[in-house]
Amino acid sequence: MSELTIAMPKGRIFEEAYILLRNAGFQLPEDLDESRKLIVEAPSEKIRFILAKPMDVPVYVEHGVADIGIAGKDVLLEQKRIVHELLDLKISQCYIATAGLPNTSMNDIAPRVATKYPSIAADFYKQKGEQVEIIGLNGSIELAPMIGLADRIVDIVSTGKTLKENGLIEYEKIVDVTSRLIANPVSYRLKNDRIRELVQKLKESME
Amino acid sequence: MTAIRKFEKPLGMRDSFPLINEKKEKVREIGRLFLRSRGFDFIKTPTVEYYETIGKASAIADAALFKLVDRQGETLVLRPDMTTPIVRVATSKLLNEQNPLRLAYFANVFRAQEQEGGRPAEFEQMGVELFGDTSVYADAEMIITADELLNELGILKHRLTVGHAGLLHSILCSYTDNETQVHELSSYLVEKNIVGFEEAIRLSNLGDFKETKLLAFIDQASNVKSIDDLKPFINPENADQYKMFFYLKELSLLLESSSLSEKVTYDLTLTSEMSYYTGMLFEVFASGSGFAVGNGGRYDGLLEAFDSQVGATGFGLRVDRLLEVMAQVSVDEPHALLLFDEESYGNAVKKAKELRLAGIRTTIQLASSVELEEEYTKKFTKVYSMTAGGGENV
Repeated sequence: MSELTIAMPKGRIFEEAYILLRNAGFQLPEDLDESRKLIVEAPSEKIRFILAKPMDVPVYVEHGVADIGIAGKDVLLEQKRIVHELLDLKISQCYIATAGLPNTSMNDIAPRVATKYPSIAADFYKQKGEQVEIIGLNGSIELAPMIGLADRIVDIVSTGKTLKENGLIEYEKIVDVTSRLIANPVSYRLKNDRIRELVQKLKESME
Repeated sequence: MTAIRKFEKPLGMRDSFPLINEKKEKVREIGRLFLRSRGFDFIKTPTVEYYETIGKASAIADAALFKLVDRQGETLVLRPDMTTPIVRVATSKLLNEQNPLRLAYFANVFRAQEQEGGRPAEFEQMGVELFGDTSVYADAEMIITADELLNELGILKHRLTVGHAGLLHSILCSYTDNETQVHELSSYLVEKNIVGFEEAIRLSNLGDFKETKLLAFIDQASNVKSIDDLKPFINPENADQYKMFFYLKELSLLLESSSLSEKVTYDLTLTSEMSYYTGMLFEVFASGSGFAVGNGGRYDGLLEAFDSQVGATGFGLRVDRLLEVMAQVSVDEPHALLLFDEESYGNAVKKAKELRLAGIRTTIQLASSVELEEEYTKKFTKVYSMTAGGGENV
């Protein structure tokens, strides 16, 4: 049996995904010491976990240093990396939407959109037939319309609480987001038996 | 933009240092001998071609082309692949002289990078094209040649995945209602986005029968050992479809008779964004590289773009990725160093000649120009110190 390297996003998604794997019948230790370690071994299953920033998971998988990984659809849409998308894990459900201050419209001359998803935002407005200026931010996107940096933001919405607390309202929903199981194209061929088995087990446990 | 510093190269460009360069030369040498022994003739084409012809016909995305403008104002491209230029030469000239025609190449191609490392913007490709033979034997020859070339290079842990673009299209047509749906589903298959494919089917209103068939298809047709496993998806009354299925069956028998079955899997969902692939297509994977090391297939469609109907099939391997997966090539040939001074120059030249005649790589070097002798002499297998003070051998 060949060893399988799985890239996992650190934090909240990791816990959900880990439970999913355990429920699928994988013999994994109950508590993974997630504290500071970046590589965690599960020798009984010949699985090695790499703990990465959610945005970086597809990078590891595309380059083949991880065979498979768990990544949000938002990240996949944003980065358009060459990976196979095998299974919708239906965890960490949320969606990407545009938001802004209530009763405002976009600036006519230079409509500005702040986001940490520049590519998704640009595609969305392009398809709507609007040319906008994208401003890339790394976090606390809600600040942008509040202090006049942008007319709209494009960001992840899970409960809508953050928007509300900051006096913003949602305008358009762009796309639903869940976590996906992704695979490196070469690993998908060379370790096909193991990957198919994993997909099958996950599918069954999710039903 | 920060100013360009003296040591920088354009994005994605790489130097080949001596060790890598030797390894590359070795690949070229092995490939050249191997492919020539199978009747392929090597050719070279210009580095620069017209955008109007080669650039547009090539399967490489426009954004990845290096473009320049010549003095007449024509847009030129650095060749992004070798297949298209070879098709140009073959259809305009060489096919008039010989048909079928077997050509091979080892050449660098150029694909611009947007921003990220890890992918070279210039790399070597080695491959073959076979024109004028539309039979299954020609396609089998490509797969077998690719496999044996990898063996020859010492890459034994490799796999080939074979599909058929025409058959896939035909199957998708029979379980969908219109060409738009076929196109949408194919585009999911190009990225192997199974989630997207399944979602598209669920949203499609195709009816239970077609939806179930398509879901079973993506699940079962993507990794089969035997062509017969694909039978449930073939409609025997559809003559064209059955013909292609039978073709694939024949191909698998030919591969089996070359004892390739161990390494080959069939994936009917395999497809390519290059619309000129009309028939069989395949990809080559090797353990040690995160990316496919090569791919190939039948591209009669591209020939039609050059007004030729004779058909063509071929494959190309990425030399940069071959180097990644190849075992370390050790270059431990004997290499002698003669250190001389002003008095011993004549003797050194004579001695060097003798050594070189005996087939030993020999460097002669004025001793006083070497600052750190110990450091410098390290990489030589034998050092002759012919200076006044030193003995002849060290």
